Amino acid sequence: MRTMNVDSRGTACPGPITDLIRAYKKAENGDIIVLIANDPGAVPDSKAWCEQTKNVFVGSKDMEDYFEITIQVAGKRL
Amino acid sequence: MKKIAIIGNGVGGLITSSKLAKDLAKEIKSGEVSIMLFDKKTEQEFQPGNLDVAFRGTDPSKMRRPVEKLVYDGVKIIHDNCEKVDLPNRYLKTEGNDEKIDFDYIIISTGSSPDYDQIPGLRDANMDFHTNAYTSSLIYQKILKIKSGRIVVGIGGLPYKCPPSPNESAFMLDEHFRKAGIRDKVEITYITPFTRIYSADSINEVIEPIYKARSIESITAFNTDSVDATKKEITSLEGETIKYDYLFLTPPHKPADFLKNSGFSDEDGWVKTDKRNLHITDYDYGFAIGDTTNIPISKAGVEAHLEGIVVANNIISEIQGTGKRYKFTGRTQCSMETGFHKATFVVGTYDTPVQKIPPSTFNYMEKKVMEKIYWESLHGQYEWLFKYHFKKDYFED
Ligand SMILES: Cc1cc2nc3c(=O)[nH]c(=O)nc-3n(C[C@H](O)[C@H](O)[C@H](O)COP(=O)(O)OP(=O)(O)OC[C@H]3O[C@@H](n4cnc5c(N)ncnc54)[C@H](O)[C@@H]3O)c2cc1C
Repeated sequence: MRTMNVDSRGTACPGPITDLIRAYKKAENGDIIVLIANDPGAVPDSKAWCEQTKNVFVGSKDMEDYFEITIQVAGKRL
Repeated sequence: MKKIAIIGNGVGGLITSSKLAKDLAKEIKSGEVSIMLFDKKTEQEFQPGNLDVAFRGTDPSKMRRPVEKLVYDGVKIIHDNCEKVDLPNRYLKTEGNDEKIDFDYIIISTGSSPDYDQIPGLRDANMDFHTNAYTSSLIYQKILKIKSGRIVVGIGGLPYKCPPSPNESAFMLDEHFRKAGIRDKVEITYITPFTRIYSADSINEVIEPIYKARSIESITAFNTDSVDATKKEITSLEGETIKYDYLFLTPPHKPADFLKNSGFSDEDGWVKTDKRNLHITDYDYGFAIGDTTNIPISKAGVEAHLEGIVVANNIISEIQGTGKRYKFTGRTQCSMETGFHKATFVVGTYDTPVQKIPPSTFNYMEKKVMEKIYWESLHGQYEWLFKYHFKKDYFED
């Protein structure tokens, strides 16, 4: 299991989700992706993406100037 | 003498070289400045035209121009590809050549190209309407033979150039089969890794109803992993499969190979570029523009053009000592054809979210006007019009 940090600050939709999907492609089940973004749309978008792809939306934190979104990769076929 | 090297003679490279050569004509004549433009390609294509070639049968030769005719007087064309850029020591090397070519300023505008290695099986299965006009014309011949079946279109992987182009392919195929009177025999399914048909919500609101009205099915959050051309099946990273009879995916794209491990690019080779001053990392004499940057906005010609103007202005101002500084606003303006002579535009900047623009025939006309002035615009002939059109988004100073 590894943690992948994805910094999407300064990018607006679809920047953060594009970055998330690109990281996901390289990840394995069990890996954690920590996405940081200052586009508020990144939180609901990541949540919806996790629901649709059966990955786990662990949570999001409002860090004042940005959001930290944590996702556990669980949806990939074995 | 100040030597300016530009790598890539596509949209970004051409407009930057034209602007520099025009405004530094005096300095070039007196031998104070030289501009070198590197690219093996001797012909350029109007890439948006690939769609008309593939889906409407437009003659592909209309989409091409020899580079020699597009380059401004005073620019030295070197028909070699670059294979190494040493930024700290300010030299580059061309393919298979050991000679070190020095520069004072460098602009990397090497674009992006399909990365079929990312998706096993896709190359063989795909009807690639996206990549080059001659292949697109062969695709048109194949489309004419389709009488029934399931077409799958959409986004094969990220990133790719021209964000609206997969949606345009769905709309244009729909138009083709309606006009042929066989739309009821052809199923069209759009797939995307995003959670909406168009990634930006405002544009999604505009096009989702059109998908419904035209009976174009959509499958969201589909991450294409591989394609089996024999079984005619696409499999996602999550293990779902979709059957197709004809596949029209926009492939994921990659930067030029020499950029990977260059010391100034990210792990995939996209050049680390400041999104406003367009400097490559901390080098104030190195710039990257267009598709090759890691700037997280659309990979589109409009960006390459506006970025090229910003970079050229900054170099001109440094050489002429005017002290002025310019910045890129992040302006996007990608047209999205929705079929039947209508289009919308994806318009935004770093500071303004993408707007909701309903499709209209007027927008379509604007897109067509751009096609008409495209080649001259790379020669810098329409900057007055772009300045007027983009207003404060043309650049920040
Ligand atoms: C189907 C389609 C539709 C499109 N529609 C639109 C649209 O409506 N609006 C819009 O704004 N954009 C559109 N685009 C995107 C647009 O064409 C590109 O984003 C634009 O061309 C990018 O410009 P660039 O200068 O970065 O790259 P390019 O124009 O692709 O030029 C890159 C150049 O670099 C050269 N090169 C590569 N490697 C090297 C090397 N090692 N050394 C030297 N040279 C090298 C290449 O040969 C090429 O000539 C579309 C693209 C496609 C495919």
